[in-house]
Amino acid sequence: MARAFPKKPPAPLNATLLAYAERTASVQSYLPEILGGIGATMSHFFKNTRDMLKGSRPDPVTERYADGITTISYPEQKRPYPERFRGMHRLTTREDDSIRCVACLCCSTACPAQCIHIEAGEYPEGDKRRGYERYPVKFVIDELRCIFCGFCVEACPCDAIRMDTGIHAVPYDSRDQFIYTKDLLTSMAGRDGSHQTGNARHEPGDPSHPGLDREHH
Amino acid sequence: MPTFKLDGKDVPFEPGDSIIKAAARQGIEIPHYCWHGGLSSPANCRMCLVELKPTANQRAMMLDVVEWDTALQDYRPVQKPKLQPACQYAAVENQEVLADTSKHVLQARAAVQELLLLNHPVDCPICDQAGECKLQDYWLEHQQTQKRMLDEPVHKPKAVVFGPTIVYDAERCVMCTRCIRFMDEVAKDPVLDMRERGNLNEVFVAPGRQLEGHYTFMTEHVCPVGALTTKDFRFKARVWFLKSAKTVCQGCATGCNAHLDFDPRTNRAHRYRPRDNEAVNKYWMCDEGMLTYHAAHDGRVIEARIGSKHVGLAAALKEASKRLGDVPKSAIAVVLSAQHSLEDNWAVRELGKLLGAGTLYAAGAGVGYADDILIDADKNSNTAGVKELAPESKTYAQLLDDMRAGRVSHVIALGGLTPRLDPEDATALGMLGTLVVLASHEGALTQAAHIVLPATSWAEHAGTYVNRQRLHQVSERALFAQGASKPAWELARLLAGAMGLEASWVKLKDVRANLIGESPISTRDFLEVAPSASSIVPPSLPPLSPTRPPRPSGGPPPPPPGA
Repeated sequence: MARAFPKKPPAPLNATLLAYAERTASVQSYLPEILGGIGATMSHFFKNTRDMLKGSRPDPVTERYADGITTISYPEQKRPYPERFRGMHRLTTREDDSIRCVACLCCSTACPAQCIHIEAGEYPEGDKRRGYERYPVKFVIDELRCIFCGFCVEACPCDAIRMDTGIHAVPYDSRDQFIYTKDLLTSMAGRDGSHQTGNARHEPGDPSHPGLDREHH
Repeated sequence: MPTFKLDGKDVPFEPGDSIIKAAARQGIEIPHYCWHGGLSSPANCRMCLVELKPTANQRAMMLDVVEWDTALQDYRPVQKPKLQPACQYAAVENQEVLADTSKHVLQARAAVQELLLLNHPVDCPICDQAGECKLQDYWLEHQQTQKRMLDEPVHKPKAVVFGPTIVYDAERCVMCTRCIRFMDEVAKDPVLDMRERGNLNEVFVAPGRQLEGHYTFMTEHVCPVGALTTKDFRFKARVWFLKSAKTVCQGCATGCNAHLDFDPRTNRAHRYRPRDNEAVNKYWMCDEGMLTYHAAHDGRVIEARIGSKHVGLAAALKEASKRLGDVPKSAIAVVLSAQHSLEDNWAVRELGKLLGAGTLYAAGAGVGYADDILIDADKNSNTAGVKELAPESKTYAQLLDDMRAGRVSHVIALGGLTPRLDPEDATALGMLGTLVVLASHEGALTQAAHIVLPATSWAEHAGTYVNRQRLHQVSERALFAQGASKPAWELARLLAGAMGLEASWVKLKDVRANLIGESPISTRDFLEVAPSASSIVPPSLPPLSPTRPPRPSGGPPPPPPGA
């Protein structure tokens, strides 16, 4: 019977066949290669120890960033993060240690993970900011849900939330520990140890502030 | 109708219309701050400037100005047309007007916008107007440049208390004078004025006075920026989280059209805003009406009760059918409520018919303050509707008399409110054998009731209300039902079912179909378009503002019944 589709000739083999090592008793027992490998390691170990004791090679623990050291002892040692690394959030404060956030909800609006929950409230009677702006009664960030995109920091018009703590996501053993409340967020400092924001602005009570009445004109 | 050309497009106008008004009627917005459809035109914001092409035998009015030439590195003299405010320039037949297509107009808008923002504090994060602010909108549309002034902006008073309801921030104010003109022209109480000049200009209250009265909220509503804020809404919510439902105010028989702004995430209403309707409330609402949104949460009945004991709805229905099951039908009276929608009243009336009940009564809230602007003395939203459904119904006072005389011993009542709170009335109600109340809000009737069935309020269901002009107006649903409450028309059906009777309605559309069948011919058309129509205006009156597309039916799914 004639074939409707004649069989194609096989493609030429475009490769050279490997010549396998001969399976002698010494290859099959692995011993010579193992001993060779241990020998190489041990020769480096004795050489490094000798050099370190002589002082001609940097100590990987005390001189961790010196040339020639490629390993560090994590977690006792940590690599320095880049300047703009987005770490855990913090809430900044003003000169009088009050929270800078005015609960405008721009951050929670911008947050793609919807991990920021804010309950706004008015300052108590007698506070100089009462009637002028509000503050967050509750400010909660679910750090487990956060994707560390930094949109909240960019959205904040008051420089009240920052991600410059330099702390990366911490492993906890239960979910509720990832719920960062206002007090915790305010207590975190920036990498320079500061809690305040550099962006000064008019505050009620400043001599330059128009105040809450009409008497300044 | 005569027409003029706006950016090459024919715009019809009525003689006497300004350009901006004729354009607004066609849904074309010429940017503006000081102009408002319901107020006079002072033309002081200069945002609505347009270019007018000279007619055939007219010489163009040109101004000599200088323009920076980058190639020349110097100013050179040029001419530009004299722009005119569209809010004051009356439309003329065949006039050619350029707005968005004129280079000079675009330049003028950007310049005006820059001037208004020169001393603006840009404190949007602490401003309640953020998100619905004209300064923000127009900056994006017409300016989009950074601030060039390096000096400290002029500071003016902030958070000035104008009265019991309104707080003023002079720094945010653009001096459009809308609030001043509103108090002068609509509220007829010229208590606001402006003082100082230039960048010290500010609005102030007449010495010795406060901004008070029945229309103070409207000064905030007309404010295009965040200068005026109400104490009620101040710091309560961010507007971009709110959704609006087209509802009808329940404060009085005027039935002002209103947007009920609510937060769908928390199922809470946050404020009322007037909805333009030339036939009813024009652009306005009164303070009392603006605050009636609180009734969506305050004083609500959200659980079924037997006596004072909270029970499940099924248990309450069973108890009601047991109590009403073996009483003589003529001793059962049905009380309709002018506080509830036409649909609710119809269903309760039908329930009475199914039961074979005797007389129909009508109750509701009492009378109160009235004026000749908007506020009606009758504090019920649907008095005319109840009268339409039951023209022969007796009053609440007659019900009390009949109770005392022993002619009525069992009552099924809709709505908890009564015209007055009187201990003697409470004694009469206490004499009843059975009082079943289907109510959304607490009142004298729910307090005396043996069985209370929780009905949804106007904010939680769609309903039709007939105002004092006999206009049938549909109010949309805003919130999901709170607690165990259900629409009263559904409670009536469930009650009929519990008593072994078969109701002729299952869904809202069945109720509406029956209502259309009964209504006078003149209102039939309105009811037929009701479910989608925002407000029912007689067809002779065109809607004033361009109709918006209906709100997408998004939001979270309704909670399961009984949740």
